[in-house]
Amino acid sequence: MNDLLEKPAIVPTSTAAAVEIRKVSFSYGSTQALKDITLDLRENEVTAFIGPSGCGKSTLLRCINRMNDEIVGTRITQGEILVEGINIHHPSVDVVKLRRDVGMVFQKSNPFPSSIFENVAFGLRMRGERNNAVIAQTVEESLKSAALWDEVKDRLQESALGLSGGQQQRLCIARTIAVKPLVVLMDEPCSALDPIATAKVEELIWNLKHDYTFVIVTHNMQQAARVSDRTAFFYIGELIEFSDTKRIFSNPRVRKTEEYITGRFG
Amino acid sequence: MGIVGSFSGAHFLAKLRQSPSTSPVTMAPDERSPPPTRHRFQRQGFSYERLIKYFFASNAGLTIVILVLIIVFLLKEGLGFFPGYRRELETYRIAGLEFVDISRKNLTAHEQLTSLLNRAYFAEINGKSVREMRRTQEASALFNAFSDQIAPTRDLILNNPQGETDGNSGMLASLRANFEKQRTKALEKPLPTPHLTADERKQLIDSLRSRPAETTDDPPLVTALAGEFAAAQQKNAEPLQAYRATIDTFESAGADLGSAIMEMTESVTATKEKLQSADILEKDRKTLLAAASNEKDPAEREKLLSEAQAALAEKPDIETPIQALLERRPDCIRLHAELKKASADLFPQIPESLTNSDAKRLLKAARGAWPVFLADLDAAPEKINAWKHTDPVPLSDAFISFLTGKDWITGGEWQDFYGILPLAVGSLMIAIVALVIAIPVGIGSAIYVNQFAANREQSLVKPVIEFIQAIPSVVLGFVGILVFGTVLREISVMDSLQWVPGFPIEERLNIFTAGCLLALMSIPTIFSLAEDALNNVPSAYAEASEALGASKVQTTFRVMIPAAFSGILAAILLGFGRVIGETMVVLLVAGNRIKIPDFTAGLGTFFQPTHTLTGIIAQELGEVPLGSVHYRALFVVGILLFVVVLGINATAHHFVNRVKK
Repeated sequence: MNDLLEKPAIVPTSTAAAVEIRKVSFSYGSTQALKDITLDLRENEVTAFIGPSGCGKSTLLRCINRMNDEIVGTRITQGEILVEGINIHHPSVDVVKLRRDVGMVFQKSNPFPSSIFENVAFGLRMRGERNNAVIAQTVEESLKSAALWDEVKDRLQESALGLSGGQQQRLCIARTIAVKPLVVLMDEPCSALDPIATAKVEELIWNLKHDYTFVIVTHNMQQAARVSDRTAFFYIGELIEFSDTKRIFSNPRVRKTEEYITGRFG
Repeated sequence: MGIVGSFSGAHFLAKLRQSPSTSPVTMAPDERSPPPTRHRFQRQGFSYERLIKYFFASNAGLTIVILVLIIVFLLKEGLGFFPGYRRELETYRIAGLEFVDISRKNLTAHEQLTSLLNRAYFAEINGKSVREMRRTQEASALFNAFSDQIAPTRDLILNNPQGETDGNSGMLASLRANFEKQRTKALEKPLPTPHLTADERKQLIDSLRSRPAETTDDPPLVTALAGEFAAAQQKNAEPLQAYRATIDTFESAGADLGSAIMEMTESVTATKEKLQSADILEKDRKTLLAAASNEKDPAEREKLLSEAQAALAEKPDIETPIQALLERRPDCIRLHAELKKASADLFPQIPESLTNSDAKRLLKAARGAWPVFLADLDAAPEKINAWKHTDPVPLSDAFISFLTGKDWITGGEWQDFYGILPLAVGSLMIAIVALVIAIPVGIGSAIYVNQFAANREQSLVKPVIEFIQAIPSVVLGFVGILVFGTVLREISVMDSLQWVPGFPIEERLNIFTAGCLLALMSIPTIFSLAEDALNNVPSAYAEASEALGASKVQTTFRVMIPAAFSGILAAILLGFGRVIGETMVVLLVAGNRIKIPDFTAGLGTFFQPTHTLTGIIAQELGEVPLGSVHYRALFVVGILLFVVVLGINATAHHFVNRVKK
């Protein structure tokens, strides 16, 4: 197994990479959470990160929009992440502007305690958009894209906290895409949802991938198989295998991957 | 053990519920009867669980019982106030004091106007003689400082009898040497005298340097300067002679009304005393009757009843003095008319304006008050004629007089009034000052510490702010008097700061100083609660906001603060509650003048002394006779405070609960 880990994972040749991750290592204090990860996220594709708990997939996801900056004692020890060819850790990069292009949807839906409309409009307002007509139109478009419009169009001014869990999560997706990011990072977006709501979110991702680049972290093998174009399997901070989803699930190259996706550990 | 206990309890309950279905007559032991005694499911002996539970329950219960007792006690002592106060107000009317006060109110207004005019006059004169005034003040200050410093050694010489023996004279010589040493030392650094010429200063210091211990006269220069000042005053008074004459005429115009009021005062006070002693006798009689009705022994009872009979006071004759008083009505009306005419005639003779700024302000105030004064004099005859001593005084008058009365006058010879308006206004104004300072500081620092500060700053700032709460308020109070009040007043007399409204401050202890100290005391409350409120905002909100590309400042102001808003509001309210309820600091620092502040001073109003609801209780409760109306009035103030603070806390609670939902 050791010789396997030392070899870099085989990376499919990318056509157009939205995000390039180059030899990234990451530490929480003295524990190393990511070791020498290299992978590309292609434009208009869905990439799934799978792996057992604590394997570093969420950490990598949060590195892409630098959400880990907020956690004291964490740092990228080596390597670089390029978004549109720009190293996001370069001192001249404004993290606020980076996050405008790399949106994120969290595991637990977290709408603001304000109206549905204001939740979706929040990102626009933070960018200084003052034209109410533009805001209203964007809110409508985003809610339609998130397949939520028909359910909420009559109660846009009501509190977002009154929505069901699945609706709240779709609202969070609508809120994220309202600001037209390049990349949408999703950290186990369906872990708290029932199967019907999960199916809706998955359908949504499938429909939206023509406009955005998605990365989805999931513990659900079927979900990864259903929604993603390519899948990366992580194990204890290392990228074990990264290739087309079909291939990973039908004919994995590495034995560890096979063991994981067939449920022998995890 | 607890599980076993509760299980067996449930078991018994189930048995009880089932018992009606079994026949009560047969009582046959069947499978439904309780398990045999000493079964391992059964409770045996006492349980520590229960003991501990009862211990804590009794603690919690005790606090509630105490709270209820406090409320009952407050109400019991306090509610007797209103009937008592009503009786006092009735006496005030029946004895005719109210009638006299109609005229007295106008006389007081006349006196105040006279005082304003006089102050304007002297301000003008002293303003023109300011150079001479400064010169004499500076010379005196230097001389006084010198005298203070040499006083101890000088007194030793003067108090020592002129001895004839060698030993004594030797001691005297050493005392003299000591005096001379002290005298030289006192002149090492004499106070500055910028308005004296160098020659004059030298002359003054030289005269002090050779000043013998026995001399009691002022140095010649000090005397000369005092003369110079008096001459300047005289000279500057000359152009104002007409004004002076006007003031004097105006002042004497009120003399007749004043003496009439004085005569009336004597007669009504006598009536009032009669009424009051009759009241006391009546109260004694009731006590005796009550004792008699409780007495079992017939002989004792008879004795008590006869004593009560003896105490039955004859009703004091109030009609005769009242009629005499009412006969003076035309006289009073005539005096009012005379005063009105004199005042109206004199008004055009008052100068339009003066040169000195203080004099201008005072004169303006007097001119402004003049029409009001004339209108009051006009309205007086109608009031005098309409007044009837037989008008009833309903209980509601006592309530209204308490809640809206503008006077809190106690222990006076004339009449006591219990109007809480001056105290409530004082408390409120201090609270306004305190909150205006404490809200931005407390909430601002909470936002900074919670949202922006680095960990090290947090661990420094938070304990320091919370430590302020640990300072005993009495310590804070005297720091307030000695440091803050004094420094503030010294700053306020600086020439460059005279544009600030209310400067220079006349009173060292005032609303502003008390407000500043209370702000300091309420900052920790507001800070801690606001910081908690911000802390309780789910971190998911901040994460979501930042992931949407909002900056830290945007996140703070658009997400965190709105989410914590109710909690912050509760923090402000609880801070307000703390300020309203605080006693020690306001008692020490607010200046304790029971008077509604003069709002015409604008922002300067905040530099006037005041008294507060809490302060009055602390100050007066120890000195009032138990059970008197005054004593009960203080309890009603206490009830009012209790209700206000309870209301504030309940509202704050409401906001906090809204956050939790």
